[in-house]
Amino acid sequence: MALFSIDEVRKTFTNGEVKEEILKGINLSLREGEITALVGASGSGKSTLLTIAAGLQPASGGKVIFEGKNMTSMGSEEVRKIRASKFGFVFQFAHLVPFLTVEEQLMLMLDVSESTLKKYEQKKEVDKILKLVGMVHRGNSYPASLSGGEKQRVAIARAIIHKPKVLFADEPTACLDSKRSKDVMSLFRDLTITLNITTLMVTHDEEMLSYADHIIKMSDGRVLQNKD
Amino acid sequence: MNIAWKEIKKNKVRFSILGSIVLLVSLLTFIISGLANGLSQDNAALIKDLPSGQFYMNEDADETYNLSKINRSIQDIVMNKQKDAVAFSIQMGFLDDASKQRSIAFVTSTDSKLFSNVQNGEIVLDRSLEGKGIKVGDTLTNNQYSGKFVVKGFVDQKKYSHAPVAYINIENFREMYRVEEMQLIFIPGEDSLQEITGLQSFSKEDFLNTIPSYSAEQMSLNMIVWFLVVISGMLFAIFFYMMNVQKIGLYGILKAIGVKTSTLFKMMWTQMFIITVIALALSVTLSQVFNFIAPKDMPFSLTPGSTVQLSIVFLIIGFIGATLSGIQIKKVEPLQAIQQGEV
Repeated sequence: MALFSIDEVRKTFTNGEVKEEILKGINLSLREGEITALVGASGSGKSTLLTIAAGLQPASGGKVIFEGKNMTSMGSEEVRKIRASKFGFVFQFAHLVPFLTVEEQLMLMLDVSESTLKKYEQKKEVDKILKLVGMVHRGNSYPASLSGGEKQRVAIARAIIHKPKVLFADEPTACLDSKRSKDVMSLFRDLTITLNITTLMVTHDEEMLSYADHIIKMSDGRVLQNKD
Repeated sequence: MNIAWKEIKKNKVRFSILGSIVLLVSLLTFIISGLANGLSQDNAALIKDLPSGQFYMNEDADETYNLSKINRSIQDIVMNKQKDAVAFSIQMGFLDDASKQRSIAFVTSTDSKLFSNVQNGEIVLDRSLEGKGIKVGDTLTNNQYSGKFVVKGFVDQKKYSHAPVAYINIENFREMYRVEEMQLIFIPGEDSLQEITGLQSFSKEDFLNTIPSYSAEQMSLNMIVWFLVVISGMLFAIFFYMMNVQKIGLYGILKAIGVKTSTLFKMMWTQMFIITVIALALSVTLSQVFNFIAPKDMPFSLTPGSTVQLSIVFLIIGFIGATLSGIQIKKVEPLQAIQQGEV
């Protein structure tokens, strides 16, 4: 059984009397420890699919199955618990908490995921992850003093500190230049292998697809192509 | 992790502005409350400092103690039945010493531990007159009294109708005001209320409200105090609303990564509590300094009890204000925040 699968997921937005079907019955499954890239033109529904998969908005129909359980039939608190402990998020913008240092951002995530580690173990874990993303020297820095690439590295560290099963990344390199984008994607690649994290990533950058194990091309709310 | 405190530490100026506004409003509230209490003491300490009990005046007096004349036979019946009851009278008048004429509230009573009992020709004065140069043994006069009063001593904090109280003997009072009857009977005790034919009963609070100007004065000052308390609540609501609007994106992201809405509320309440407690601590200190340095003639009395009471009210109002503004935290959709861009 796949760790994560999407079964006939539909999403309809209603604007007054007009109904717009954004997702028209999507099926896909994510393979453990692999990066799956969702690509497609703007408006193809890839970001909507990612946010439904991540439990950030409800589907209008279909199922999102994680670890054998249907998330679409769960209550909001149950979904929040999964988001906090089993999922990691990296967005287009780093979205770091402005008044917390780099280390504190990661400690916060451990708190949110209700980590059972003791304080000194948490500190060790933070150091380890910061080393992994090459940010150990900026542990006491605030987000305002970091460059765009550094912020995104911290966002990635925050997304993986609690060892999530699935990592959702929505255009993680969209705000970075070409060199930094490649650095971030290499980091994704390495972490996926090292920590055996399953990643679902939305990107519009063709260059980044070389880092993915599996590519799903979407168009007009449907899966157009599904290739390895 | 205490993210509430970390945010305060990182945004000192922003939170200091809120803190200083709360400090100023609460300081103003404490000072006005002190003045209200001081004026209340200045107006009626003689009555307020009596223990709980019931006051009685003639039911034909139209709730005006000055017009009350309690029939001697009724007074005797009550006094025989209630051994701790005391009959007393109050009249405004003047006392002359060698240099000056002073406005005084003359008080006389039957034998009681609650009032100073003085012999014929003697007078016991409120201590404020000691500060004005009157000493034990001085002689004072009144144009309605044929003799001279000899000052026998002073009592603390006995004021009535913004004038110092002077206890005199019943016989001297009768001569000055040409009355035989007493105006009021006071029966101490929580459960002393009883029906007495021909007399109307008043609780202490009700009786204080029959004193001319007392309720009008207190009502105006208390209205200012509560108005300031409500303003401080609104300040909290507005300030946290503005802060929350600025932080909608942040709240959305925190919710997306799994932070509970209740944790975000706790963060806001903690910040409100920290700011209010610091502001109130400073405000209480400053108001007590004011209490200490205020001119002696200024009727100012800020008791620890009323300070604690107002501080609790400030905390409750701050909590309500912050919570009302925090309703938008509940409405924040993580997705909306993610799509809005960088925090």
